Amino acid sequence: MTWVGQRLPRLEDPRLLAGKGRYTDDIEVPGLLHAAIVRSPVPHGELRGVDTSEVDVPGAVVLGPAELAEVVVGRMPIVWHMPGDFQVDRPLVDGRVRFVGEPVAIVVAADRYAAEDAAERVYVEVDELPPVVDVRSALEPDAPLLYPGRSDNVMSRWETGDTAEHTDAVFAAADRTTSFRLDIGRVSGTPMEPRGIVAVPEPDGRLTVWTSSQAPHAVRDTLAAATGTPQHRIRVIAPDVGGGFGLKDHLYEDELMACVAAIRLGRPVKWVEDRYETLVATHQARGETVDVEVAYDLDGRLRGLRLRAYRDAGAYLAHFGGGPLFTMSGMVPGAYTWEAVRTEAAVVATNTTPTGSYRGFGQTQAVFVVERAVEVVARELGIDPVVLRAANMIGPDQQPYATRCQPVTYDNGDYGAALLEAQRLAQAWPEPPDDGRLRGVGYSSFVHMAGVGPSQGNPHVGLDVGSWESAIARMEPDGTVRLFVGTSPQGQGHATTFVQLAADRLGVDVADIELVHSDTDRSPYSAYGTAASRAIAVGGGAVVEATSALGDRIRRIAAEMLEAAPADIVLADRKATVAGTNVSLSIAEVARRAWQGWALPEGDEMPGLECRFAYDPKQYTFSYGTHVSRVAVDPATGVVEVERYAVVLDCGTLVNPTIVEGQVHGGVAQGLGAALLEEIVVDGDGQPRATTFLDYLLPVSASVPDIEVVLTETPSPFTPGGMKGMGEGGTNGSFACVVNAVAAALPAEAARDLVTPLTPSRVWHRLTGRS
Amino acid sequence: MSPSPPARAVTFTVNGAPTTVTVEDRTLLSDALRQGAGLTGTHVGCEQGACGACTVIVDGLAVRSCLVLAVQADGTEVRTVEGVAHGAALHAVQESLHRRHGLQCGFCTPGIVMSLVAAREAGTGLDDALDEVLGGHLCRCTGYVNIRAAIVDAWQGAEGSEVAR
Repeated sequence: MTWVGQRLPRLEDPRLLAGKGRYTDDIEVPGLLHAAIVRSPVPHGELRGVDTSEVDVPGAVVLGPAELAEVVVGRMPIVWHMPGDFQVDRPLVDGRVRFVGEPVAIVVAADRYAAEDAAERVYVEVDELPPVVDVRSALEPDAPLLYPGRSDNVMSRWETGDTAEHTDAVFAAADRTTSFRLDIGRVSGTPMEPRGIVAVPEPDGRLTVWTSSQAPHAVRDTLAAATGTPQHRIRVIAPDVGGGFGLKDHLYEDELMACVAAIRLGRPVKWVEDRYETLVATHQARGETVDVEVAYDLDGRLRGLRLRAYRDAGAYLAHFGGGPLFTMSGMVPGAYTWEAVRTEAAVVATNTTPTGSYRGFGQTQAVFVVERAVEVVARELGIDPVVLRAANMIGPDQQPYATRCQPVTYDNGDYGAALLEAQRLAQAWPEPPDDGRLRGVGYSSFVHMAGVGPSQGNPHVGLDVGSWESAIARMEPDGTVRLFVGTSPQGQGHATTFVQLAADRLGVDVADIELVHSDTDRSPYSAYGTAASRAIAVGGGAVVEATSALGDRIRRIAAEMLEAAPADIVLADRKATVAGTNVSLSIAEVARRAWQGWALPEGDEMPGLECRFAYDPKQYTFSYGTHVSRVAVDPATGVVEVERYAVVLDCGTLVNPTIVEGQVHGGVAQGLGAALLEEIVVDGDGQPRATTFLDYLLPVSASVPDIEVVLTETPSPFTPGGMKGMGEGGTNGSFACVVNAVAAALPAEAARDLVTPLTPSRVWHRLTGRS
Repeated sequence: MSPSPPARAVTFTVNGAPTTVTVEDRTLLSDALRQGAGLTGTHVGCEQGACGACTVIVDGLAVRSCLVLAVQADGTEVRTVEGVAHGAALHAVQESLHRRHGLQCGFCTPGIVMSLVAAREAGTGLDDALDEVLGGHLCRCTGYVNIRAAIVDAWQGAEGSEVAR
């Protein structure tokens, strides 16, 4: 049998279901101390220090800015830089606080209760400064400045796509232009497992760090540089990780403080974030304002797209800098042919929580902008938006398609077929009941840049890390396999899908293979970790190559033992068989020979049975598809119910369709949440208002309808194995899809400029015209 | 100097085993189970009673162990996710979640398992299990679609199915 393509129930499940998962907070070591973080209570001010004179908890130790600075010799890195960025890294503490929740000190005590008692008695000494809490006021000429010596609060500024001259010419030649504004609400990815870290000084002087991370090697590198420790003296392990969604892609300041405390005290220290801290201190996302102009002809031809986009950076540039907005500006052409696409973008500092990576990484916003543009134009022309989409879509015969935003060139696929299949699904939905609610159907077609990406291209866009992956496949003398990879799962099921990829190429059962990951002492280097829908396309590509090479070696050794030609050896069912015969050896017999090291094939005599492959993609991969939803809007309350939902997705080779569907479901829920429910609110004084799950509304079961998923398979021409990556695609499609459905239920003018999330009060105000 | 918080012994039955933990008055049941009894399968997701990840069964009722003080559990019978499976054989609810891909990162899963086990034992109907019981849990990974499918399976397989226990 072939493992790839099977709906194999996940191999990691039984352990997790039985409560035998091991998450960071589950790590216990002898002598463990517990930490609490002291955070800034004000959004802006000069930090004078901390007053610990009231701390009366026995044994509690406070490390304030001065003590932390004694251990921290390096700076927090930023790995993605736009030309002209002044902030390319930053210190752990720099004498100023810039958001409520910014960590300024750490308290260590015998248990968490005592640590929190002590932290409450630490007084943060701040000379307050006036805050700026939104982009508009941050750009005022007389706005308070977050960074003294700068002339304004702009952190980063760039242009992408076509020149102004070319874009102006296309707009001038078009029959008509239109414009609208989108305010994309700020959200928190808020995984169910909060962040956390356990730092353990070992007797041999090394430091072992357990942390809930998507990128253990990136954590190690930052920790090493920050503390002046050689990288080989630090071991970072991400045990079971309870969701990441982009937020856990780097080492945070508070996590570094816990490591500093462990180093300074020579004792193991654990710090685990509570939910208040997730919502105020963990990096948030989005928070863009986009002014959109569209040029089109009366026959429905889309011609030009021009954006002015601002993103609220919060207090500083996060690990990937301006990357999310840059990615938005690069992917905003979407599934359509345009004659001009141009974005002028700026990232602006405010006295709020920093915004960083979150599932979609700007692509959710790109799909939102272009799919709103399509809907607005269709409405102005009185054309069915599906017809308008189909008329302007990139055809399969135009692939590979170089977009107006180079270096983005799509790979393959029939975008129109996915659109029409989604329409077919929606047309089969039963008519809604006549219950007085308004109905709207919304579509969203998307192209999703996944499989990030070719390392050689990174310097050209200012990305300062490599994005290749490697895998080491080792067959043990008994024929079982350990597969070492650099990517780190947080629920995506790699211990199943990567094993399926390997089993086919080695002729063994999935039960014979163990995936080894997320441990810098054991797993190969990965600068990026699991993010950007890259694990199955890039990490999986490395697995395919490494296990293919190992399979070839097994065939050569078996051929020598069986006196046959390697090309005639078939690996299946734990046997190496001469094709067309019943002459075979068990794989274990071949493995044993390799580890014995004798009588190996001439020219291939190196003993052992292990192959490594480093895979650096030549190209990005592009999943694509169309989402369609139907919503019901209660005109009396503005409450929106998503009644129906369908997704057509092509993400190349399907390793495990059940897991792909699960990723789609979860992604749809997150996009739906951002469209209707989730909103980080900061008041005019810079104080966060959404600090619990009673204020920050995640989708519950009743929020998410059943989701029809149709999967098609157009393998990537680039990835070994043909996988394209799709982890973010559900979110990228659904945010626009749900907003489009609500907009379709609103009068045209009420649906032009939009603010997300579309809460009941916002919808009600749009419907009634009252403010 | 603050006085040392008074320590108190709490004795209860955990997954059938008599257990005594030493706690402060303010110690949450979730912390007493995780740190005192060493049962880390119970996860703490919010400490606000909102997410349901820490749900355990106390005297037959599903409760959020972050909203119960350990001292309140003195003399009770507590069941956690570690006590649900019979050896290697998963409970019908766990089995359905596995078969239907009703979990991804697995962090919210133990709480959902405990709520569903309590509901099954209480004779809760399928509609209430889908709406009321699952409605008390937050999951960030699955979008709930496959959890609902698993609940339907577990409930419909409840009579005479080989997975039912």
